Amino acid sequence: MNVAVEVAVRVVLVFAAFLLFPLVVGYMEHKAMAHMQGRLGPMYAGGFHGWAQLVADGVKFAQKEDIVPADADRTVFKLAPWIALLPYLLVLVVVPVGPGGLVGSDVDAGLFYALAVMSVGVVGAVMAGYASANKFALLGGIRVAAQLMAYELPLVLSAVSAAMAAGTLSLGGIVGAWRPWWLAWQLLALVVFLVAGVAELRRPPFDMPVADSEIIFGPYTEYTGLRFALFLLAEYAGIVVVSALATVLFLGGWKGPVLDAQLGWLWTCVKVLFVAFVVIWLRVSFPRLREDQLQRFAWMGLVPLALAQLLLTAIVKVAIS
Amino acid sequence: MTAVDVVLLLLGALAAGSGVLVVTTRRLVHAALWLVVTFGALAGMYLVMTAELVAWVQVLIYVGAVVVLLLFGIMLTRAPTGRSDDLDSGNRPAAVVGGVVTCVLLVTLAGYGFSSAYADLDTGRLGTARAIGTVLFRSWVLPFELLSVLLLAALVSAIVLSRRRES
Amino acid sequence: MSDGQRETTPGAGLVKGLATTLKTMVTPSHTAEYPHRLPELPPRSRGVIGLFEENCTVCMLCARECPDWCIYIDSHKEPVPPARPGGRERSRNVLDRFAIDYALCMYCGICIEACPFDALFWSPEFEYAEYDIRDMTHERDRLREWMWTVPPPPANDPGAPAPKEVDAAAKTAAKAEPPRSNDAARPQPPWEAGDDGG
Ligand code: SF4
Ligand code: SF4
Repeated sequence: MNVAVEVAVRVVLVFAAFLLFPLVVGYMEHKAMAHMQGRLGPMYAGGFHGWAQLVADGVKFAQKEDIVPADADRTVFKLAPWIALLPYLLVLVVVPVGPGGLVGSDVDAGLFYALAVMSVGVVGAVMAGYASANKFALLGGIRVAAQLMAYELPLVLSAVSAAMAAGTLSLGGIVGAWRPWWLAWQLLALVVFLVAGVAELRRPPFDMPVADSEIIFGPYTEYTGLRFALFLLAEYAGIVVVSALATVLFLGGWKGPVLDAQLGWLWTCVKVLFVAFVVIWLRVSFPRLREDQLQRFAWMGLVPLALAQLLLTAIVKVAIS
Repeated sequence: MTAVDVVLLLLGALAAGSGVLVVTTRRLVHAALWLVVTFGALAGMYLVMTAELVAWVQVLIYVGAVVVLLLFGIMLTRAPTGRSDDLDSGNRPAAVVGGVVTCVLLVTLAGYGFSSAYADLDTGRLGTARAIGTVLFRSWVLPFELLSVLLLAALVSAIVLSRRRES
Repeated sequence: MSDGQRETTPGAGLVKGLATTLKTMVTPSHTAEYPHRLPELPPRSRGVIGLFEENCTVCMLCARECPDWCIYIDSHKEPVPPARPGGRERSRNVLDRFAIDYALCMYCGICIEACPFDALFWSPEFEYAEYDIRDMTHERDRLREWMWTVPPPPANDPGAPAPKEVDAAAKTAAKAEPPRSNDAARPQPPWEAGDDGG
């Protein structure tokens, strides 16, 4: 009985975080992006600085007509948004928030679990691109697939570097082993991980697959209403997940300047939001990379860097053990 | 039969069923998507057998990369949304025979080869990353390295093949 | 940009981009929240055209010059009794309708330039949207209301010669003709009401 209650509480908490954090990040994007462009962003919905804008957007999406194109592959078309969204929920389950088991579920190979499930989300976008029966969506789908293949490798390699340094694949274990000087040691891996993570989310400046000025909205071109909202939610949930993983792997998770045991969850939240802010910041600051630049950057830039970091990690690891 | 056995059987049926659908579906992309289900069911089976690491690697490599590569290939070359009836090569009997023979061969071989290999799933944590890593780099390091050399050779030859026309 | 001017440190441009956006983020934004804060429009803003009816002689020049033919003017003639007893009766045009279709108007201002009697003026009012395009034709009353929103013309630049009409007025005043009686009763544009002599 006790176990069942505990599991229920954990599930509810993870679900609440899954619903809340993407909205917070979405709102932060509205606001940060607006101010970076000399605007104010939403100001009216909800009264105080438009805090309820995304809620209002959700209501709007829910009211929209539900359209499936005539030639679309209906089942796949309807399934795609869920495939794109749910993996991120499943990843959140293993992200440790605080010390002492403050985690949805502590998986032994948590790192591989997270990376594996995250990569499934991309299948959703590819499915959407194929099922829409639209040439722009198809192009977008192809680009999504190509981008995933290019950036999955540096992502995994840089994450593995952190696991190697900590000597464990468990996310909680990695945080436990983390020391502040790892920031310098794993800096390269952190950068590669963030860049590859942003690319995997198809966020600007790596948003060639959904480049709205060229191919409308890539795989999501034919989507409206709630399904479109699900894709958008998936994007923000993806930011949360990538930020959370970067926090856990490279920024020491719940370890803060003071009171790790009591305020651990707060440090985690602060760090996650900071990384999410950096992701938004990148979006505003840099222009979109061209498709060939994207591929070249991944294969000739990130992969060698990640390998170099692995080498460095191994050398230091052997030297200190 | 314990609950674990039931789950294992169900997952097996799911894997086999979706595997059949992969080869019988008339829609090219659906075949790739059914493959996702097959791989997922396989990963589930690994999980049930406490081989956690293998399960996640299975998902990461096969669902995350191989299927996406397949989809990429299909979408790049044909991208049909509807049914493609020209997919049927008319070799069904031969395919069935080939499939059954392979299946029988594999089952017998695996049965004979590993008949004495027992692992008690309840006691040790055999499937953890640490356990697998230890086994891989202690007992099986030679085959492992051989495999990596093989993959490297494949990689290099792929590069060589794709560059040949340039000169 | 030549190669010599290019920055050479790799990534310097990226950092510069990040710095720019960050700097913009912490400086106050330029947004004016319009319905709550009205914009400060520059002088001579072309918001809407106001009609100072008393100056209009129904000469129709504006309607003829308007490239869009969006000015509607109706009038009739009325006899004016002779100024002196025994004199000849005169006639004058009386304005019946003056309307501008703002759905067609392209705010070129030609009508205002063309009017030889200073009857048309730019007003900075701009909040006159309608739900139906047919309601965009605004009649004389509305045009007259807008007249009272016309701001005084901005002052001349220091050292600039006085406007021609001021010179002309000064000359006329120097001739010291006694003012005609009906001049005093005529309403004045709002900015002239206070300082008649200036
Ligand atoms: S501003 Fe131009 S278009 Fe408008 S009424 Fe005057 S002359 Fe016509
Ligand atoms: S040009 Fe001036 S005076 Fe003549 S009709 Fe038009 S507004 Fe009246």
